[in-house]
Amino acid sequence: MPNQLRIALAGNANVGKSVIFNQLTGLNQIVGNWPGKTVERAEGTLHFKGHTIHIIDLPGIYSLSTFSMEEIVSRDYISIEKPDVIVNVVDASALERNLYFTMQLLELEAPIIVALNQVDFAAKKGLKIDVEKLSKALGVPVVPTVAITGSGIDELLSTVIATVNGEQKRKSLKMRYGREIEKRVQAIEKLASSKLSQLCTVYPTRWIAIKLLERDADVAGKLQNYENGKEVLKFAEKSAGELEKMHGESSPVITTSERYGLATKIANAVTIVETPPRVSLEQKLDAWTTHKFLGYPILAMVLASMFALIFLGGNFISAGLDYVFGIFTAYIESVFLLFLPEIAVNLITDGILAGIVAGITIALPYIVPFYIFLAILEDSGYLPRAAFLMDNLMHKIGLHGKAFIPLILGYGCSVPACIGCRIMETERERFLAAFVVVLIPCAARTVVILGLVGRFVGLHVALALYAFDLILVFILGRIAFKIVPGEPVGLIVEMPSYRRPSFRNIIMKTWSRTRDFVYVAFPIIIVGSLVIVAFDALGVIDYITVAASPLMSDWLGLPPVTSIPLVFGILRKELTLILLQDVLLQQGMVLQDLTSVQMIVFALVTMIYIPCLATIAACKREFGWKRAIAIMTVDIAFALFLGGLAYRFLSLTMLT
Amino acid sequence: MRFRNRRNRRARGAQSNGGVTSLTSLGEGEKGIVTKAMGGFGLVRRLTEMGITPGIEIRVLRKCAFHGPVELEVRGVALALGYGVASKVFVTPLKDEADA
Ligand SMILES: Nc1nc2c(ncn2[C@@H]2O[C@H](COP(=O)(O)OP(=O)(O)O)[C@@H](O)[C@H]2O)c(=O)[nH]1
Ligand SMILES: [Mg+2]
Repeated sequence: MPNQLRIALAGNANVGKSVIFNQLTGLNQIVGNWPGKTVERAEGTLHFKGHTIHIIDLPGIYSLSTFSMEEIVSRDYISIEKPDVIVNVVDASALERNLYFTMQLLELEAPIIVALNQVDFAAKKGLKIDVEKLSKALGVPVVPTVAITGSGIDELLSTVIATVNGEQKRKSLKMRYGREIEKRVQAIEKLASSKLSQLCTVYPTRWIAIKLLERDADVAGKLQNYENGKEVLKFAEKSAGELEKMHGESSPVITTSERYGLATKIANAVTIVETPPRVSLEQKLDAWTTHKFLGYPILAMVLASMFALIFLGGNFISAGLDYVFGIFTAYIESVFLLFLPEIAVNLITDGILAGIVAGITIALPYIVPFYIFLAILEDSGYLPRAAFLMDNLMHKIGLHGKAFIPLILGYGCSVPACIGCRIMETERERFLAAFVVVLIPCAARTVVILGLVGRFVGLHVALALYAFDLILVFILGRIAFKIVPGEPVGLIVEMPSYRRPSFRNIIMKTWSRTRDFVYVAFPIIIVGSLVIVAFDALGVIDYITVAASPLMSDWLGLPPVTSIPLVFGILRKELTLILLQDVLLQQGMVLQDLTSVQMIVFALVTMIYIPCLATIAACKREFGWKRAIAIMTVDIAFALFLGGLAYRFLSLTMLT
Repeated sequence: MRFRNRRNRRARGAQSNGGVTSLTSLGEGEKGIVTKAMGGFGLVRRLTEMGITPGIEIRVLRKCAFHGPVELEVRGVALALGYGVASKVFVTPLKDEADA
């Protein structure tokens, strides 16, 4: 009897949902040790004892109120799609805070099972949880798990099946509020059940009543479609007003406090404090890395070693691969020439093959080390610390510390960085963050900066370009902050304990990110190369060169043919350097024939002028065409403007 | 955690001044009882949901230099609040029994 089941994983950020998800489905999903990064829901399927189970990993949230889009998405998913079971993943080492979320799931009257995860970590902190007692208190099954080792996962699945089959009958906890609140909840409930009978089939009536009492904007909005909605809303608002007068707090604060009160009571009753926690290595690390003075040199060192690894490691690997592929390509070419006409061979070798080789020898050597380093940073829990340290500085550009995380991502690839801006709370924050993030030179731009300026002009000049970029980010960010309307939001972020990164997690994460990169980037690289070969054959290249000539030679002081790599660089920025080499070659020149000033100007323009096609697509998806185009226009305008200025300024100062 | 609660009560009795101050005026390692979070509906609500409810004990773990963010412990969890946010949380300072 092949049975179809749907289960959802829900819980706070950073409790181990994604690790459990991976354990269950074997599918790779991004997991890490910083809050809020499961930004898209992930789905997977598994087979267990004749059942087909569809699993969805809901984003990590702290509550089911309407502070963020993710919370609304999650609670709508739970109430509207009604999965068979919700697995509420709970962090045993922070039970109180996690149970607050459980209280809300119970209020939604969702069929839940608690996965009491990270019991190993709790034990390390000297905390032991009485599982049976917790299960009794909540009235739902509780299964202890250690997601990273996979222990308890099978029991979890068996419990899911048993619950669906009705073998696990338990009466789940129904929370009662204080008398004054309860009285009002019940009155609203009564009114709602008669006036909003249809809405009450989707959401539990009691839950609607509580949310209305809490002045929940989303639920209030749902009432607009009802004839008598206004009446119910008015009554609820009156009730909330009375409560607020009595307590001197806004109504959600009152109900939240009560929910927390119960969560605390249960947590205290089931937690056994075994050994007084001693100062561990993790705590010492924590103290150093967030130290008000020491923290900054450490942060600088972490970032510097990351770049050193990417640049040195990348250069080394890249050079090696280059050599190997050089031989390989020549061989393939000679073989093909035996039985194919020259044009076809050109198309294959210069188009497809050159594209793949460029991707492998240029993009991957820089991208993979970056992803490994990033995975370690994420898994250890360092990123929120960096956010903490950088909060002050980020406020200067209207953002808060968390925006530093996508900023770091930006040095790898702008696409995940752009998507990573979702960790910001409001639309305005997300847009501002994305605006500065695309200005950060990604690995592909790094190839140009280091491969051209670093190699032929000097490393110090290349580093100066990076420094200049940061200043530019700061200035443009500040201008954007002043222009874009709205109030800045402050930093509120959980600081997870340091953990030793798990090797398996890092490998899985690096692998899945690299795979995504290859899927997205390689087709574009290959198509891009083909287009260039075709354009070259059709003479379009010459046309572009002539058209762009005044801008190139008069304003930027570059040879006119350099417009080609800049235009086609939009397809993929790491192509820029290869193309530059190619077009110069056609003119009988090599890279070294460019003057230092030309190299710097070229690298500068490449660094700023436009995010690549994939990034534009990501921006469009996140913010719509209007804002994506706004970002692009500003970038192009600034790149050309600054390129021209740099040409004039450098020509004067670097005159030899 | 039960242990901590017992300590709360004693500490509350021993508290030196009943003055309410902003969270930002607590020093590193100092404790306080939250009295109220000010600010907009959304902010107050978010803080409450992160566990900063009236009457709860918090401890300042760390403060960044130059009016930077504040890291505090609340309900067994470490939380970082930007300076602007932290300055909207009001607390009654507790005298640390360690120096008694
Ligand atoms: N010690 C320990 N660490 C865990 C366990 N489960 C997850 N982690 C770690 O907790 C962090 C957050 O996990 P993740 O699945 O990304 O959390 P999510 O935000 O809920 O999806 C990662 O660094 C995991 O390695 C566990 O059972 N024990
Ligand atoms: Mg996750």
